Amino acid sequence: MVEGCSMLKPSNMLKKSIWVFHLNTGGCNACDIEILDVLTPYFDVERFGIKLVASPRHADLVLLTGPITRKTLPKVIRTLRAVPRPRLILAIGACAVGGGIWHDSYGVIGGIEALKKVLEEQGVVIDKLVYVPGCPARPEAIIYGVAVLLGIAKPKVKETEVEVIVK
Amino acid sequence: MNKMKPLKLLDIARKTGVVTIRYPNKPPLITSEFRGRIVIDASKCIGCGACVNICPSNALTIKETYDKRIINYFIGRCIYCGSCADVCPVKAITITKDFELATDNIRDLNNRVVHYKAVCCRCGSERHAPENMIKFVIRRVPVAETYAHMATNCKKRKFVEGMLHGRGMLYVEAK
Repeated sequence: MVEGCSMLKPSNMLKKSIWVFHLNTGGCNACDIEILDVLTPYFDVERFGIKLVASPRHADLVLLTGPITRKTLPKVIRTLRAVPRPRLILAIGACAVGGGIWHDSYGVIGGIEALKKVLEEQGVVIDKLVYVPGCPARPEAIIYGVAVLLGIAKPKVKETEVEVIVK
Repeated sequence: MNKMKPLKLLDIARKTGVVTIRYPNKPPLITSEFRGRIVIDASKCIGCGACVNICPSNALTIKETYDKRIINYFIGRCIYCGSCADVCPVKAITITKDFELATDNIRDLNNRVVHYKAVCCRCGSERHAPENMIKFVIRRVPVAETYAHMATNCKKRKFVEGMLHGRGMLYVEAK
């Protein structure tokens, strides 16, 4: 693997500061406002070494929001191709995770799951992908998502299947 | 004058103090109005599908098979509007204050409630509704238990047969 991948191991976590690139793919901007909120002194993610950069070529992590509209899809692929390996993505918000409220509309491709298939065809590898649900995701939820990505925190949600007992 | 500016800033910073919240160490600010993920109480749920009808983003979906009715809650698409909790006739859905839902496997975001459908009391093979839902209907509406347990096609058949019998058009063999 490419150098820098050791960062993904829990033993070597936070050896490297995470530089993030903010990528809106046609969302309503609520998640983007929450991301900006995370970067303000109130939440102050720079104490964890998280820093916003202006170019995807400098970024370790892409903060992806929005349902990925057909219009933005080529630009999203170009941006993700420009991100160096290991290519980490944080899918933020209901739109990015599951396609959101217009998941079956003609104008959107339907969230990160559909994007993953497109990227596979294009030969762009995603090394790690973490989903942060929320509409919009709270700033704390985004910080928690980064912690899950780095292996500091373990995911709390679990898949459940409950069978109803007839009373 | 300009040389004094940093000192002025220091003075302002001293007055304001530290504004940063220490999130992972201290609990975050959660107001009483905050809505997080929903939780479906399987012991109360009757599988009527009212929440699935109202859900604006199709986070709640229903899947019908021959003997099962599965209600799936996909957190990833939920917009936390709370409409499902409002419409639930048995108040099985509660809105929690959970928001730390980040995961690296999308399957973790699925919560399923599986209902087994009751067998029709007339034909003994067709299934039309979960047992708990039939019991809920019997409690609310004055309807005979055998009629409520009957599958939709059997109800139609019974109605047609009864009508034909009344007009003398149906020949029933005497046993």
